[in-house]
Amino acid sequence: MLEKVKELLKSEEIAGFIGLRLQEGHPGPHLFTKDHLEDLESLWVGETRYPLNKVLLKVADQYPELTLGVMVRGCDERGLTELFKWNQLRKDRVVPVGVACGRELAEACECYKPFPSKWVVGEKTEGISKSKRLQKIEGMNQKERLRYWLNQFNKCIKCYGCRDVCPMCFCEACSLEDRNFILTGKLPPENPTFHLSRAVHMVGRCIDCGLCEEACPSSIPVRTLYKKVGEMVMDIFGYRTGEADEAKSPLNLLGEVTLDLSDVNK
Amino acid sequence: MQSPQGFEPKIISFLCNWCSYGGADLAGVSRLQYPANTRTIRVMCTATISPHHILKAFQKGADGVLVAGCHIGDCHYIKGNYMTIKRMAVLRELLRFTGFQEERLYLDWISSAEGVRFAEVIRNFTQKIKELGPSHLRTAY
Repeated sequence: MLEKVKELLKSEEIAGFIGLRLQEGHPGPHLFTKDHLEDLESLWVGETRYPLNKVLLKVADQYPELTLGVMVRGCDERGLTELFKWNQLRKDRVVPVGVACGRELAEACECYKPFPSKWVVGEKTEGISKSKRLQKIEGMNQKERLRYWLNQFNKCIKCYGCRDVCPMCFCEACSLEDRNFILTGKLPPENPTFHLSRAVHMVGRCIDCGLCEEACPSSIPVRTLYKKVGEMVMDIFGYRTGEADEAKSPLNLLGEVTLDLSDVNK
Repeated sequence: MQSPQGFEPKIISFLCNWCSYGGADLAGVSRLQYPANTRTIRVMCTATISPHHILKAFQKGADGVLVAGCHIGDCHYIKGNYMTIKRMAVLRELLRFTGFQEERLYLDWISSAEGVRFAEVIRNFTQKIKELGPSHLRTAY
């Protein structure tokens, strides 16, 4: 990792590298540059996951002419692919440096692809295709599901942590802050509108990094909800979010109609 | 709205200006009978209906939401209903997953010549909602 980044910076292939650095004993984001190569001594990889794409978006927004490097895990790479597709970043201005996740992390995430296309750190572990969290919910009947989700959603303190940490939440105006949709000054927020609105917005966007759930102070299993969204997009539209292909997110364009009324009103 | 005879549901129907609203109009001028449980909201195209609007309707206590637009290929804006069908498919599946009875959301295509069918769709949907009973979210308000 260190050598690779050093080499990229020295050859001026990239103007800066966004990675993690140990600061006061905690890993945090840092922009490594050629002028401060000594910073690389404290470059951190570990098992820490961090929304580096979000940092990248901010930096790229201010310096659109620069080519930047970024540390990516499997999920981050899927995120980059989607950000390119949604025209938030330029593909030729980003150089990803890959990290493959360990077995333990992959299992905790139930990640179907815990490695990027190319990596310099770690060993490839097989992805997990079946999610136990989803199976648990699907095993319940309608009443149990309703009770489960209402109980979970009602823990919400509307801190917007899930949105703020989400690398795919790049909209300038957020409908979750629209007074016409979400009442202000009321806790918990209107459920299920609040959470299902966000879930609808995750269609073709959520790359299953799970940072939302980690950020949630009330431990609402939002990741399970968005995992379902990802599975749904696959089942209904045959679109795998984050896959590097020509296809665009299904709700991002009109496209052609592949569904029938009977598919909707099942 | 609890009538002495039993449960009278509140149904919000989003009708597109060019087809389904015309269908409702035709049903009206043809003097066709259908239950008066629906509250119609006319929209220019079903594609202008965001899932937020539907969620908000449920949140405010609607027992059912009907979305009706032009048949595929007949959209006044060429491809508006392509988006509608995709959104509805996603939203219904989400409602199912979270236990909010996806049957309460219904999508249909009704052209402006289908007055009889409009009345029939409303009758069937109202009947279905009556069988399902009041929405779980209704009690909260």
